[in-house]
Amino acid sequence: MRNITIGMAIAAAALSVLAYSRGGMPLVLSGLKEGGLMLAEIAPLLAAAFLLAGLIQVMVSREFIERWLGRGAGVKAVLLGAVAGALVPGGPYISYPIAASFFIGGAEIGTVMAFIAAKNVWTLTRLPMEVALLGVRITVLRYIVTFLIPVIVGLLANFILSKSVERVREQVRALAGGDRP
Amino acid sequence: MIPAFAVLAVFALALLIVAARRGDGSARKAIRLGTDMMVKVIPLLLLAFILAGMLHSALPPRLIREWLGQHAGLRGVLIGGVCGALIPGGPYIAFPIISAVYKAGAGISTVIAFVTGWAMMGVGKIPFELAFMGTRFTLLRILLFLSSRFLPGGRPISYSEPH
Repeated sequence: MRNITIGMAIAAAALSVLAYSRGGMPLVLSGLKEGGLMLAEIAPLLAAAFLLAGLIQVMVSREFIERWLGRGAGVKAVLLGAVAGALVPGGPYISYPIAASFFIGGAEIGTVMAFIAAKNVWTLTRLPMEVALLGVRITVLRYIVTFLIPVIVGLLANFILSKSVERVREQVRALAGGDRP
Repeated sequence: MIPAFAVLAVFALALLIVAARRGDGSARKAIRLGTDMMVKVIPLLLLAFILAGMLHSALPPRLIREWLGQHAGLRGVLIGGVCGALIPGGPYIAFPIISAVYKAGAGISTVIAFVTGWAMMGVGKIPFELAFMGTRFTLLRILLFLSSRFLPGGRPISYSEPH
């Protein structure tokens, strides 16, 4: 989080210098004004989006996700993994530990890949934010365009990675160390 | 922006009612979670919007229209996907930046490639992935996701649109 803040501050400073070189102080100020206006316009949407994100987190518990994932095999497991990925709230520091624990627990690699892909493109908790900041039209089109990706990568992974899956699983298990039963 | 607010408000209200009817403090917990989240990311949000505004000032709109506009075609989609992957951090950072690029004249298919590139290939998640899943899984995942972009259904489509 801190590295990202620093990186963004540097990028903003660099862009300010670029703006200054293109049009002096007025252009820098107009950039600040533009950013402020965008934020002011979007503030009520953000408030609603954060409320919605909080609600989804409360309604969808980790136990609920865990019941979905790692059940069954083949196409059905890929679909369940994708649905679980869409439902899991929080950032990568939450979804990857869940993915790892299921992979270690014996889930197929396609299930885990579908889970991660769905977390990336189907995710429910990010949806309010996307609507708030990019609008309904872009969000709907984006969901349609990427709709099949989790299922495709899940099935593809089961199909082409079946030979190397145990070596991959071994490494995930080693990384989890001794803090697991 | 009005329909976006309506959609969010209706969903939030519906879920709030469901949560409140549980009668176990779910609703209050959700409101607190949402408020906490918002307070925590406010500094980041401010910075992201300053960055988005500066993007507006620093990059000539003509350049964006030419390279990322709706007539940029496949080139716009490819550039969008790569630039998206390079945006670090969560949605509070990525979406304001992408929104600024869209307002400056980028096409819809480019914007979608931006979001998809950031979501699927984003560099910001890789440290977490390496830590929990290891190098083998991460490498295979990157190759798999990259190849899925070239399969039917995984490919961003071009739209013609009034801008």
